[in-house]
Amino acid sequence: MSVNLSTDQRSDLDHPASNPESTKMKHLSRALALSCVAAAFAAAPAAAAGDGTIVLKVGKVITNAGAPIENGTIVIENGRIVDVGPDAAGRWDAPVREYPDLVAFPGFVEALTNRGMDRPNENVDVAPFLDVRDSIDPVNFYFEDCLRWGVTTINVQHGPGCVIGAQGHVVKPFGMTVEQMSVRPRSGIVMAASPKGGKSRATQAQALRRAFSGLRRYLEGVVQEKRDGLDYATREARYQGREPDEETARGRVMAGSGWKVEGLELVPRWEIDEKQEPLLRLVEGKVPAFIYCGSAMDVRVALEVATDNGFVDRTTLVLSSSCWKAADEIAAAGVPVILSATLTAIERDPVTGEEIETFVPGVFAKKGVEFALRSSNASTRSLWYQAAACIGHGMEREAALAAVTTAPARMLGLETRVGTLEKGKDGNVLLFSGDPLSVTSFCEFVFIEGEQRYDRSQDVRNTHLNTGAQPENTAPEEGAGEGDDAPDEDGDEDDEEKEDEDGEKD
Amino acid sequence: MSLAITITTVLVCAGDVEASSAPMTATGGQNLAVYADAVYTSTGKVIENGMVRVRDGKIRVVSKGEAGEGDVHVAAVTAGMIDLSGRISPSGDVEESNEITPHVRATDAIDFFSVSWARQLRSGVTTAMISPGDENVISGLCAVLKTGGPRTLSSRTLAADAALRGAFGSQPSRRNHAAFGRPTDFYSRRPTTRMGVEWEWRKAMYDAIAAAGDPARAFAGHERLMEVLRGELPLVVQAWTTQDIRTAVFLAEEMAAHVEGGVRLVIDAGAEAWKEPALLVRTKAAVILPPFDHDGRTSDGAFMAWNVAALLAEKGVPIALSSHNAGAAADRLAVQGAWARRGGLSFEDTLAAVTIAPARMVGVDERVGSIEVGKDGDLALWNGTPFEAGSRVVGVVLGGELVVDPRGEE
Repeated sequence: MSVNLSTDQRSDLDHPASNPESTKMKHLSRALALSCVAAAFAAAPAAAAGDGTIVLKVGKVITNAGAPIENGTIVIENGRIVDVGPDAAGRWDAPVREYPDLVAFPGFVEALTNRGMDRPNENVDVAPFLDVRDSIDPVNFYFEDCLRWGVTTINVQHGPGCVIGAQGHVVKPFGMTVEQMSVRPRSGIVMAASPKGGKSRATQAQALRRAFSGLRRYLEGVVQEKRDGLDYATREARYQGREPDEETARGRVMAGSGWKVEGLELVPRWEIDEKQEPLLRLVEGKVPAFIYCGSAMDVRVALEVATDNGFVDRTTLVLSSSCWKAADEIAAAGVPVILSATLTAIERDPVTGEEIETFVPGVFAKKGVEFALRSSNASTRSLWYQAAACIGHGMEREAALAAVTTAPARMLGLETRVGTLEKGKDGNVLLFSGDPLSVTSFCEFVFIEGEQRYDRSQDVRNTHLNTGAQPENTAPEEGAGEGDDAPDEDGDEDDEEKEDEDGEKD
Repeated sequence: MSLAITITTVLVCAGDVEASSAPMTATGGQNLAVYADAVYTSTGKVIENGMVRVRDGKIRVVSKGEAGEGDVHVAAVTAGMIDLSGRISPSGDVEESNEITPHVRATDAIDFFSVSWARQLRSGVTTAMISPGDENVISGLCAVLKTGGPRTLSSRTLAADAALRGAFGSQPSRRNHAAFGRPTDFYSRRPTTRMGVEWEWRKAMYDAIAAAGDPARAFAGHERLMEVLRGELPLVVQAWTTQDIRTAVFLAEEMAAHVEGGVRLVIDAGAEAWKEPALLVRTKAAVILPPFDHDGRTSDGAFMAWNVAALLAEKGVPIALSSHNAGAAADRLAVQGAWARRGGLSFEDTLAAVTIAPARMVGVDERVGSIEVGKDGDLALWNGTPFEAGSRVVGVVLGGELVVDPRGEE
């Protein structure tokens, strides 16, 4: 079955795509998808001016920065929070929404994910010249799930199957193009200390080191060519009869705390190979690095590469659950970590055969390591649930909440923009029906930069997930997949027969 | 300093959990009192600032009580949970000689050395039903066991042949193929389709009726099938999809016309039971729900709506939750209760669905499933409101022994 967006429907989306041909509707293979996009994206009220200005009066504001405010007001102007408090007042013409029964909370921050994009693992070992923005799929269900579960800031990154991966992109889960979704482009570069497919741990470590020694050799070569007058720009200028230095601004001295290449200021940055330039920025400490560690043993390699090349201060380790064993080394290095969505590491005692369970966030909390939690699916491992699970394991509520808000915000360098409901922050507000960490609370509304982007009452796919109700104007469920739905072979239940006809429409 | 929160000291229960008249032993059978801010009894009562006293493996006192220094004190206490589909498989779980093996007993192949027991126990599950595998159509007899204690059948078994197990749907025929044109292997057998599975079921039932009237037609386990048809032995059938649930219900109703009594049907893994609850009400079937899946996509193509538990409870269908032997701590039975709550199931019904309701389904409610004087001393100790995302089982009492001590937790 196919899905076509009519012109009318497209205009309903309130965000006309700049390039309709590239809206990637081909990914919506099921009619159901259409209605969910409509639910998620068309929910913005027509009344909103569209300039991100709104006043929210709610029963309780959990600012995530200090004590909660009963009967508080959040004032958002031009997408930013300008005031929060019991008596905050907005611009005279700002629309006011009152929700005395709801609880406001800042949007959750997903520290790192490989979802929402087409195949996240590039085959080329060292590929920092790639950018996930070319792979992010705005209509991927993942972003719809993010809205539904209150994740409003998402760091989309290359997967762990790499030596050095592509550049990431921080997005918000709303918009029909990556540009509309964008919060921060070039948000960091991933690398992997654990082996990608086909490599051993040793060759992986070697390839990782070699990427940087290769960069260094390349830069030294470029400088030498410049000094020798053998570089392309100089030769071209001479060929044209110009003095090579006349028209071009000089390059910059190499920055960073690691190794340096003397004379790099002779080379304008645009002359540097675009395949090497992202790594140079990394070594200069200009972009965050996210290093995947699949096992505790990988932590040493990750820290060594980051230290040797001067970006350890901007490094965040992305850990699998067994990496808790390297907690001491990580604490000593002072780097923050993003934890696996599997919060409890299980291993077998080789002697007794018994399982030993270790609650991983608890280990890092005790060691004083800053950590962020990840989600692995929308509902049973969403960020709110991960935080609640930490509380169940004895963690302070504040620390658990920080791990899904302010801590990942810091890792992304977005601490001034997201993570709390404070003056000056982005107007990303979730409205819950109760305690945000309770199983019986639901995220009723999501505001992103002051605009309502989600309304649970309009979310037909959520209704479908909850009750099985089929949204209007969509085809029925495909059932067991075979389409050979003939349950009443007993033949003694005449009233069941009509069911079969409905299933065969397409 | 050990970083691990180690919860493995489980198999130390020394008391004889079965015999209430057993003499006190050196290490077992002592007096154990557990105090809690709330004792949820599964009988409809909640005792705030309550106390449960266990002696000789049995609950002796359920009352108000204030904890003193050094006492076991937690936020909440419930009865030890019961997982009827914990899927701790008997070793070598498919009997290959036949599709219909109602005489095969899971109790003959219990692997007490499986890690699954400890995994269930430390998650608060103190009673589990062990079933033969579902690669057969009628696979055999299920046993209900305690999840800890001495590694002997006599000490752990609550009911050796508690129910007959079978399966509808694709699993019994999944890998089977006809015996032509390829080397013969275990899967060169029938049935090869869903219809074939259903045919095997009906043939077995009618064969059993025939055998009851003609000793010459007797086959292994035919008496067990007659017990099922007379309603003396519950029939637990795996049926994920509504189509398979229907098949099971219609078969049970068809057989009721031939044998008096009526099948006591328990649908296991009834993910799509939400689609036609009226059928289940009509035939008085009970449902064991599979673990909640994040987007409702469970096995066999079945879609499990999040409100399935709440809907069935509202219609009066007895429900039990199950964990399918989840490896991840976040998927085990207590958390399934949380997801059922999220789907709209009331607290009281959620509690019942992991305690007294499953006990009733397989007839062990005389001994387990609620906190009442005289019942087995099996308790789950929680550090907060049960079935909340921010609380969990931190202690377990099995047969009066504190097998997981909440005081060791942080």
